[in-house]
Amino acid sequence: MQPTMDRREREGLPQAPRLVSGDLPPEEPIPSYTGPSFVTDDPELSRLTPAELYELNQGMLNDAVPDRPLIDQLKHIAVLRSEYEHGTPAFLQQIDYLRSQGYNGIRRTRGDGDCFYRSLAFAFVERLMNSEEEELEFSVMSAISTLESVLPMLEAAGFQKLVYEDFYETFVSIIKQIVEPDRLDHSNLTPALLLEAFQSPEVSNSVVVFLRLLTSAQIRTDPDSYADFLFNPELGEPMAPREFCESFVEAVGKEADHVQMTALSRALNVNFSVAYLDGRSKDGTVDFVQFDSGNDYGSEPMVLLYRPGHYDILERRSQEPLE
Amino acid sequence: MDARLRRVNKEIADCKNDKTSKITLELVDESPFHLKGAFPGPEGTPYEGGHFEVDIRIPDSYPFQPLKMKFITKVYHPNISSASGAICLDILKDAWSPVLTLKSTLISLQSLLCSPEPNDPQDAEVAKHYMTSRSSFEETARYWTHIYAGGPEAKAAGKARDTPVGAVRDEIAIAGLEKAHVDQFEALGFERTKVIDVLRRLNYRGANVAKITEDRVVEELLKS
Repeated sequence: MQPTMDRREREGLPQAPRLVSGDLPPEEPIPSYTGPSFVTDDPELSRLTPAELYELNQGMLNDAVPDRPLIDQLKHIAVLRSEYEHGTPAFLQQIDYLRSQGYNGIRRTRGDGDCFYRSLAFAFVERLMNSEEEELEFSVMSAISTLESVLPMLEAAGFQKLVYEDFYETFVSIIKQIVEPDRLDHSNLTPALLLEAFQSPEVSNSVVVFLRLLTSAQIRTDPDSYADFLFNPELGEPMAPREFCESFVEAVGKEADHVQMTALSRALNVNFSVAYLDGRSKDGTVDFVQFDSGNDYGSEPMVLLYRPGHYDILERRSQEPLE
Repeated sequence: MDARLRRVNKEIADCKNDKTSKITLELVDESPFHLKGAFPGPEGTPYEGGHFEVDIRIPDSYPFQPLKMKFITKVYHPNISSASGAICLDILKDAWSPVLTLKSTLISLQSLLCSPEPNDPQDAEVAKHYMTSRSSFEETARYWTHIYAGGPEAKAAGKARDTPVGAVRDEIAIAGLEKAHVDQFEALGFERTKVIDVLRRLNYRGANVAKITEDRVVEELLKS
């Protein structure tokens, strides 16, 4: 396995969009800020100034407001850009770079720790749905057969059927609906129905959990490939595969890092890339980190957008297609 | 049928079919989302021989949110509130995973009885007792298992032998204290229940006894 961009190797820390100093509340007792802290526990961020931390926290809080849908409509990337207008120019340059590469849209997910899995699942189904007409049936059937073929791996990893079967059924029925009308909707899957499904907590979370179980099973059944890369993300200590999977893969709301992403790419047999929008680029470009299973026949690669601590989906289109 | 109900039904059936784990589940009322679980105390622990009951509530967004569990049976354990039965266990909080089930969670509670985590206590007084004198802690835990969980009678503690069996002796044993210590302060004219309460709060046990002066105890007694 090639840890191209392991967290521990990434030097230093991501830079928060900076406020113009005059914008800061002057007498705000920032160091004693005791609200929910999403980032201050991270030792990597301990070098930020209180003002930067405060600002970063606010950003994270906004991301975590329960009102944000689990996954949102496609928005023009200019919307993202406008949020960084008072931030560091580095972010703006990188957003402009993404646009110049043809990425015009962003689809956001709620910052609940499930964002990587939710983004990838959505992008996976959406890509299937957008397959060329003549390949549609084949793409859907191969996706379903891939999912069927991983069930023995889930068993081998020690998961009970009663635990995974409902999540599996939910995911497969969404994919099936691409080619055959659903019992409830009496319609094939449309972009609107897909969005609706992924905004419904029961459906959306079932799919997220299924991908978590796949990721975990991939690591548990092939521990030798992963053992050297399993670290407690909070303490930095090495962890045994089972312990790592229980605490940082299967548990609800635990973010994915490079290891989980690699494992899921292999388990699902898909390629995707992640654009790192971190404000750290010297020349204003964005690094794309590839996760290649090597057997992905899908044409258009899936691209996720990473900002420190969060994943969204990056798209070439800038708005939802018309039905 | 909604997903939560489907899953819970499967889990209950799975538990019924499993004869080896000795975990039982039953409905408390009409709702399939309020259950009572039970398991035997693990062997080789002070809880051996006891029958422990747990109140289980299944939240609306189960299995994406953790089960809500608390002990119905009173348990003397650092991670279980001796008053309310509330449990401090990571999987019931932020380490929850939808992989966990009613059965596996109850098995985790059973394991918790085998391996207390006094550094992350639910009941600070019990945790202090555990840290100060393991043997005294175990004696108390065994006594609780006997009187609350139907466990076997504790091996007769010689020192308590000559006092008549009754409420008074119980109270001291429940608090995990020595009768001689309670007598000592009672003799100064303080009410027995007050003495027990203060000594328990001060963790007047084992090596701590030498560290806590008589004046300190009296001072606390006068305050209470």
